[in-house]
Amino acid sequence: MIEPLSQNALPVMIGIGEYHVGSTPMMAIGLGSCIGLTIYDREHHIGAMVHIMLPDSSGRSDRPGKYADTAVPLLLNKLTDMGCNKASLVVKMAGGACMFEYFGNNLNIGERNAEKVRAVFADHRIRIVAEEVGGKIGRTVTFYPNDGGKVTVRSADGAAHEI
Amino acid sequence: MDAMQELGNIGAAHAATTLSQMLSSPVEMSVPKIKVVDISQLGSHIGDESAALVVFELQGEIAHGGYILFYISRKSAVHLTNSMLGLTDPDRALNEMDESALLEVGNIMASAFLDATAELLGFVMLPSPPSLTIDMAHAAMQSLIAQMQEEIDEVVLFSTELFCEEHKIDSDIIMMPETSMLNTFVERLENLMKAS
Repeated sequence: MIEPLSQNALPVMIGIGEYHVGSTPMMAIGLGSCIGLTIYDREHHIGAMVHIMLPDSSGRSDRPGKYADTAVPLLLNKLTDMGCNKASLVVKMAGGACMFEYFGNNLNIGERNAEKVRAVFADHRIRIVAEEVGGKIGRTVTFYPNDGGKVTVRSADGAAHEI
Repeated sequence: MDAMQELGNIGAAHAATTLSQMLSSPVEMSVPKIKVVDISQLGSHIGDESAALVVFELQGEIAHGGYILFYISRKSAVHLTNSMLGLTDPDRALNEMDESALLEVGNIMASAFLDATAELLGFVMLPSPPSLTIDMAHAAMQSLIAQMQEEIDEVVLFSTELFCEEHKIDSDIIMMPETSMLNTFVERLENLMKAS
């Protein structure tokens, strides 16, 4: 099989709290308790990705991509502004691990991040079609809006797979 | 900032000495750096390569003062434990024996670092029991930043590279204080300078 040429393009790196909208590949490396969230529009073949760190913004608005409660509406608005239809959106997420059980007063931020993302999408009546969250492992997520919205997840042992 | 650099220097120098004693070979250290890193740029400082991190919470006079971590690439971790356990295969997988050895090394180094800085500052900092993870370095650091007491957009890293040529070991000792701890450092250092 011949790989599509555009897959060779360097992915846009999405750092903690950052997001990107477009058709080029995007990547969030080393997610621990953070969430890599991707939304793909089947109709327009574009997508959006965000690297969420915490569940709640508590009213802060300077970094909307950092929090689950503000990041989800942010991406949905960006996509609908570009003419995307809610019905053609494919949502996937990965991350939300708990790498240190003994620190942080059992906050389990990873799990709370994932729960918040689910709750916000439920409010918008949008289904999350695939998720790979929890556990104790770090994950690197790559999103290919130019290749049917493919999402791959890689862990530290090097194995990458599609979700 | 110079005084802060000195604080990191003293801590790292003591950690380097203990590492050298454990390995019975010379350990060199880089110039300690204080990096102020926006969280969105953490990935350009710490990647998703597999590494062992021994992590301690900073406790003592400030209950949650941040973290101190001993960071060592997976490859170097094998070299380190091989030299401690008298093994030779550089390509073997890490097992429970290695994990206890890494915890022990981390423990001794973090204690040395904190003893030295505490003495300089006249301020007690104690390491919590250690936690070890062997996984993507960025994922571990990110998880620690997410659970810091004070929410931040920038982290301050006191980072020093320690390397041992003889055993091909490359590691880092990194202190990542909470804002309250950082303020205490500044205050104490200012008082020290006024006194001298």
